[in-house]
Amino acid sequence: MHRFDRAFRFVLPAAAVAILATISSVGWFTQPDRFAKGYAPEQPIPFSHELHAGTLRMKCQYCHSGVDRSRHAGIPSVDLCMGCHKVTRTDRPAIQKLTRIANSGEPLPWQRVHTLPDHVFFDHRPHVNVGIVCQSCHGEVQTMKVLTREMGTRMGNCLGCHRDPHASLPPGSKITKGAEYCAACHR
Amino acid sequence: MKTRLPDHGPLETPRFWRTLEERIETPEAQQAAHDEFLPGVVPTQDDDVHGLPVQDGFSRRDFFGLVGAAAALAATVACDRKGQGTIVPYTKRPVEIVPGVANFYASAFQEGRHVYPVLVKTREGRPIHIMGNDEHPGVKGKTSPRAMADVLRLYDPDRLRAPRLEGRTLGWMEAETQFHKALQTAKNAGKSLLLISGAVASPSRKALLANLRTALPTLEHLAIEPASGDAAEEAAKASFGQPVDIQPRLAKSGVILSLGADFLNGENPEALAAWGTKRRLKNAHEAFNRLWVLEGPLTLTGTNADQRLPVAPSRLGAVAFALAKELVAKGLPLPPGADLSAIAAGIPQGTDLPAKVWSNLVQDLRQAGRKAVVLCGAQMPAEAHQAAHLLNAMLGSEAVAMQPAEPLATVKDLEAAARGMAEGRYAALVLWDVNPAYTFPRATAWKDAVAKVPFRAWIGQVPDEAAAQCQLLLPENHWLESWDDFTTAGADVLQQPTIGTLYDTRQGEDVLLGAIKALGGQAPASYHAFLKERWQQSLPTGTSFEQALHDGLLKTESKATAPAFMGSSVAAATRRAAESNPEGLELVLFPGFATHDGRHANNSWLQETPDPITKMTWDNPVSVSVQDAQALGIQEGDLVRLSVDDTTLSLPAVIQPGQAKGVLTLALGYGRNTGSVAKGVGVNAFPLMGLDPASANVRKGVRLAKAGGKKELSRTQSHHRMEGRDLVRSLTLEEYADHPQGHHHGPELVSLYEDQAFPEHKWGMVIDLAACTGCSACVVACQSENNVPVVGPEQVARGREMHWIRIDRYYEGELENPKVVHQPMLCQHCDNAPCENVCPVNATNHSPEGLNQMAYNRCVGTRYCANNCPYKVRRFNFLEYTAYKTEPETLVNNPEVTVRPRGVMEKCSFCVQRINDVKIRAKGESRSILDGEITTACMAGCASDAIVFGDLKDPKSKVSQLVANSRAYRVLEEIGVKPAITYLADLKNPAVEGGRHAI
Repeated sequence: MHRFDRAFRFVLPAAAVAILATISSVGWFTQPDRFAKGYAPEQPIPFSHELHAGTLRMKCQYCHSGVDRSRHAGIPSVDLCMGCHKVTRTDRPAIQKLTRIANSGEPLPWQRVHTLPDHVFFDHRPHVNVGIVCQSCHGEVQTMKVLTREMGTRMGNCLGCHRDPHASLPPGSKITKGAEYCAACHR
Repeated sequence: MKTRLPDHGPLETPRFWRTLEERIETPEAQQAAHDEFLPGVVPTQDDDVHGLPVQDGFSRRDFFGLVGAAAALAATVACDRKGQGTIVPYTKRPVEIVPGVANFYASAFQEGRHVYPVLVKTREGRPIHIMGNDEHPGVKGKTSPRAMADVLRLYDPDRLRAPRLEGRTLGWMEAETQFHKALQTAKNAGKSLLLISGAVASPSRKALLANLRTALPTLEHLAIEPASGDAAEEAAKASFGQPVDIQPRLAKSGVILSLGADFLNGENPEALAAWGTKRRLKNAHEAFNRLWVLEGPLTLTGTNADQRLPVAPSRLGAVAFALAKELVAKGLPLPPGADLSAIAAGIPQGTDLPAKVWSNLVQDLRQAGRKAVVLCGAQMPAEAHQAAHLLNAMLGSEAVAMQPAEPLATVKDLEAAARGMAEGRYAALVLWDVNPAYTFPRATAWKDAVAKVPFRAWIGQVPDEAAAQCQLLLPENHWLESWDDFTTAGADVLQQPTIGTLYDTRQGEDVLLGAIKALGGQAPASYHAFLKERWQQSLPTGTSFEQALHDGLLKTESKATAPAFMGSSVAAATRRAAESNPEGLELVLFPGFATHDGRHANNSWLQETPDPITKMTWDNPVSVSVQDAQALGIQEGDLVRLSVDDTTLSLPAVIQPGQAKGVLTLALGYGRNTGSVAKGVGVNAFPLMGLDPASANVRKGVRLAKAGGKKELSRTQSHHRMEGRDLVRSLTLEEYADHPQGHHHGPELVSLYEDQAFPEHKWGMVIDLAACTGCSACVVACQSENNVPVVGPEQVARGREMHWIRIDRYYEGELENPKVVHQPMLCQHCDNAPCENVCPVNATNHSPEGLNQMAYNRCVGTRYCANNCPYKVRRFNFLEYTAYKTEPETLVNNPEVTVRPRGVMEKCSFCVQRINDVKIRAKGESRSILDGEITTACMAGCASDAIVFGDLKDPKSKVSQLVANSRAYRVLEEIGVKPAITYLADLKNPAVEGGRHAI
């Protein structure tokens, strides 16, 4: 055997495989929004945004009413659902469950789909108040039967838009940049 | 943007000092000035291979090895999106609550006779921050440090959560049955019952107690305030024939003479506001007042004096009556019946008052006339109070308001009650929010007496020493869960609950209403109904209870007439004053700054707020004057034995510059036996109190001796020392008038960095040292707003306190009576911040609005920034101080501010959460930010308005205008870091020969 045979036959291919495996696994592990996309946990009530926001064309702010007044958009309280569902679709098991909850006053824990780390203080108000549509960050919610995460809440995603926001802003908006300094979100 | 400071003047550095070691320049002090961090941070030994320092045998290499491994593990574990948590919305959302938006409710806090109308900030139903009610004509949006800190007591985990009978938890139904049965039995047998409560400042509570007395004719009621000063009560009864609430009205003052009165200590926001208004001079030609202070201890008011003279408390009465005699000689009339013949003319003996100063004082008072006011400290002997009442009556002072008040029981009344109990006179004892087992000077006698009462009930929040002696414990609401009303000058104030009851507790008044009903009396369903009915009966037309509740008050014209001074009381007081001579050492017992009479001892925010004078935390050492310490060979921290009569305490001593020779001071409210925070902190000084109400807080013939040994003091005054640089400036009014720009400014250095650009805003602050009294309200306000952790006495002793704002207290001049200046010190938000360019991870950098911002999640904890900060305002989380906490403690956190974990640096953020909120709201309303719309917590908490925050880019803003004031300077401006905080030099107005007089 040539003295380099061993190296060419075994060591080099093994090294190449190892390097490739490292690169691809690191690449896979570090791809943007790797775990973010497609997260769609099962909710206690099978609420369909497709039906409410899509077919029925209800405004997002009808339910998420805190969005222009508060940092948090908020999940609607059960009594808001009951505004319609006292009379609407009362034959469905899910609505019956909702009615039970509304009557007993027990808490209804929804699974959080969009989340932020504790040290980030995102505020919905300045975004909604300049006309950025919800879909810019939350995806085409009106087509989702089950609410699914479309975009991760990485700082890179925030900054991408803050550095060049025109795609998300309504036409004619004079805003050219969003805040890029730390204390805008971290405090 | 460049703000030019006034011209350079001569470079003269006044020699300020903070500790005795600094002044005497011991080698230890010089070494300490070089050591940035105290032991525990600095490596203690050297590495044996490289000779490099290591700490506790754990090398840097080991550390990085472990960190690397931990990071790798964390990286694999963190790649998980499972368990993002849940969102639980309201099932039925209250209409007024939008999650994420704070609601404010007007309420009121009572401490003794002081009533503080407050605004309570609530988030999702939780009270998290307290500030003054800005609708109230007196306090105008300000309140006291203890009122602000009291929100923490709501979430005290030590609170009793359900009624208890002899150690057994039971329901309210059964507890009330037991309670009513005992009262009924006593009533049927015609035996007396004793109810002891705190001061009655509420008209509704007074009416309720009257109803209770009708239903229970054998009821005896005592209202006690153990730390409020029995002597003041005795003197008011003697001088006016009735108890009187004395309120200074400093807005009308020209000359103030304080006889040991500490009206600038933060307890009285109204006095502080008036003081600030008088002191914030725009130029040297504005009207200014003058504060004379004659006192034994060094009080906060004494540190703000224009002229301070150390006088032993026992001589104060004689001095004040001698002043009255001098004023009579100058032509002021004596009130009818007053007789000063027992007082010798001239300066009283036993005081070292210089003749020149004495004549200046007399002349000042005479000239000021109705604008002069004499205030006496509550703890001073009764004759000093009576002399002050006489002087005010003679001067016809406009600067003090006297209101008739509900009587308070003194220590003598309490002693009589104890005797009555021991004799078996009482069938039942009800303690309502009082702790006589701790505050009564003879604790053992009290315990024995209480044991003779067959039925003992306790109503309160945290089980205390008194609760341990009672059978039935009834848990009471915190005031943030309760209804009440109070009468204050200018408005009737309402207290309303801002949260439902956290536990199975009831309001004390509701318990008593239940008792009235059970005894066959008529009573509404609740105290709320009782109070509302009373209000609705007396409401003027055009007002409503709901509106009053919204405002927290109903403005009223004061109807009460000031009680008349009785001249006939003077003769006896003068005799007592003339006979009162110092005998040996004299001990003054005053309420603790943090603890008051012990009721706040379980509040860790207050325990860790440094005492404004001694800078002590978590302890009450006895303060000894410089002369006595020298004579007795006592050094700082030495353990001493302090004996009065047959009571001896062993405690550490501190040396207090400025304290009168022969005077010792000791704070009450420490040395509690119960409460997880309060227990074992300091010593209980109540056993040293006298049983003569006229001089209960001033004890003579005190013995002090070294006990051997030393205690490490958790004292912050030597921390963050500044190596004798010119940091704090103080001018006399004369100097200021002669050289309006007389204090120097160093030349600005050339910077290697480009100037920062501030396109929209440049946030800045101005702090007026002339208005700052050092009351530390800002420290507490900041602690509450910014989730600043409490670290405990051991950590404070190592220099690890976490306050984002501290008050540096500087002495200048002679040890025996130094001049004092207070300087709030916080992050200066330098444009060329030295901390920023040493951070290896860029965790701290500059915002385009001039903020030195801190990204906690980027910080890796190298502490380079703290080392490089010339102001020493950066704080490092050496340990996990907060994250391990659970409910209910976490409920007090401000959800707008990150709770910082171990290993990160933190510091003042200029309350960036408030800035951002206002900016976003203004943007939503398409308008620009108004000046004064953004308030930092320290600014909002500052009763004397010494702190002003605003936009330096706006030339019309208040802060921009103040920066141009001729007293303006910046701390360490010579090093060219361009701080965003400008200080205005302190002003003092001493009486100088041929100089301008006050008024």
